[in-house]
Amino acid sequence: MSKMTRRKSMEYIKKEYARTRTMPASWYLNSYKYKYNVTHMKPFLDKLKEGKLVGLQCSNCNRVSFPPKLVCGNCLIKPDRWVDLRETATIATYTITYLKDEATGKIIEKPIACIRQDGCDTTIITELAPEINYEDAYVGMPLKIHWADNLEGSLSDIKYYDVIDDKSKDMALREKK
Amino acid sequence: MEKVGIVGYYQVKLASDANYGRYEMIFEAVRGAIDHAGLKKKDITTVISATNDYYDGRTISNCFTVEVGGGYMADESKVEMDGAHAMLYGLMRILSGNHKLAVIWAGSMPSCFPYHSARLYETDPTWERPSALVTDISAGGFQMRAYMEKYGVSAEDIAKVVVKNKKNAAKNSLALPEAQMADITLSDVLNSEIFADPVTELMYAQPCDGVAALLLAPEHHALKITDKPVWITGVGWNQDPYYLGDRDLSRNKSMELAGKMAYDAASIKDPANEIDVAELSEAFAHEELIFAEALGLAEAGKASTLNSGIDGDIAINPSGGALGGNPPCATGLIRIIEAVKQLQGEANGYQVKNVKKAIASGQIGMCAQNNILYVLEGGGN
Repeated sequence: MSKMTRRKSMEYIKKEYARTRTMPASWYLNSYKYKYNVTHMKPFLDKLKEGKLVGLQCSNCNRVSFPPKLVCGNCLIKPDRWVDLRETATIATYTITYLKDEATGKIIEKPIACIRQDGCDTTIITELAPEINYEDAYVGMPLKIHWADNLEGSLSDIKYYDVIDDKSKDMALREKK
Repeated sequence: MEKVGIVGYYQVKLASDANYGRYEMIFEAVRGAIDHAGLKKKDITTVISATNDYYDGRTISNCFTVEVGGGYMADESKVEMDGAHAMLYGLMRILSGNHKLAVIWAGSMPSCFPYHSARLYETDPTWERPSALVTDISAGGFQMRAYMEKYGVSAEDIAKVVVKNKKNAAKNSLALPEAQMADITLSDVLNSEIFADPVTELMYAQPCDGVAALLLAPEHHALKITDKPVWITGVGWNQDPYYLGDRDLSRNKSMELAGKMAYDAASIKDPANEIDVAELSEAFAHEELIFAEALGLAEAGKASTLNSGIDGDIAINPSGGALGGNPPCATGLIRIIEAVKQLQGEANGYQVKNVKKAIASGQIGMCAQNNILYVLEGGGN
């Protein structure tokens, strides 16, 4: 390929002999303190305590985010309009993760889903009700929020989502499949 | 755009647990690229690397790679993204007119650190990390499900991509030995261990150890070094929002915009007919299909019907792609090197016939958040 001569300095590297030793070390990333703003979430968390859902709307592009975002990436401004959201939602996409229990060694199936709350443009990653059989789940499946017993004003107030009856017309088609 | 040529390259053979020290591997790649072009240390004017502090186990990790990376007493910098982004930085330095030869090297050794723990720290500390359920793999599960359900693509269609790429990797002597599967079948893919339903083990590009290096030079200097440099005629890059809930995962908007930018620069009007080889950096099998659609190689939802083998209508990942070995940070740079080999007719065993234009992409982030695409021409083939 080259106009110039090729050097042979690589030969010694091809010999096979044990060239490495390992030295154990650790990096304490866990000790990091993450600072994040709660100012833009305060009305959202207050409403959660009352059992209500609100999204934050950008006053320029009208995009509603849930959970609320500090800055609208599209317009580079702080969204400042709070809008009420319904308790119903649909599945945008979902997957199943497999976690190993350290104590017992048992593999736990844990399904998670991206849920689009009705009346908002973004999705939230959350869990579905344990009684839902995931082989029956599908994108677009209608859901309703299941609140925790004691509301504390944090994201854990949304315990999971229950399934509700699907009244869309193409359900018959899906069942035939 | 002024012409910038790729004048040399070298890739270390990928391994899942390489018998190399970190710096020896970087040295082999950089020295190999310099030897490939027949140059000397004093010809290097700038060095750009792509690694990650966490992957290297130390902060400002490039200060330890100065000698082995060729940066001794030369202009040097680092990009903490994919090697394809390091090449963009090197390209801009060449275009500034201040440099005659840029060395781009990239790569890491996941056998030295818990790769998936590192990826877990990529997630949002407030919304996602407390549950530890969202990782790079379960994000891929979201993406694959969204794509399959939107276009009615079956898991078998996606498994076909794995079969094609792993068979191609078997012809590529530098691919990861564990990923070289000449006899793989669809049922092997579908019945392999399930990672995040519907993603199975073989649909995921396994991280492995590897480093690659590449040399860039401006037009007049490139022609002095070699008779058949490969020219960068277009480049485009773009970025999606970080949060998965903000995106439509069934398509890849950042790749669409990166493709548009690169095609405009290279004056490509009809990508499906003009491009002969596409080397796409896919972290999961389904991403190859999503990218092919985003780049106009197929209609939306129709990429699984493409004839994308080595002898097909348009060859996608003839080298095996990232499914043939995915060294974090180096994957995109290796895709570019493979596209260069195709243009120069030096892809022994997996050469596509009569290649005039090739594209190569790099990605970084969950569900391919950030994408970069190069259009390459020349090579004398």
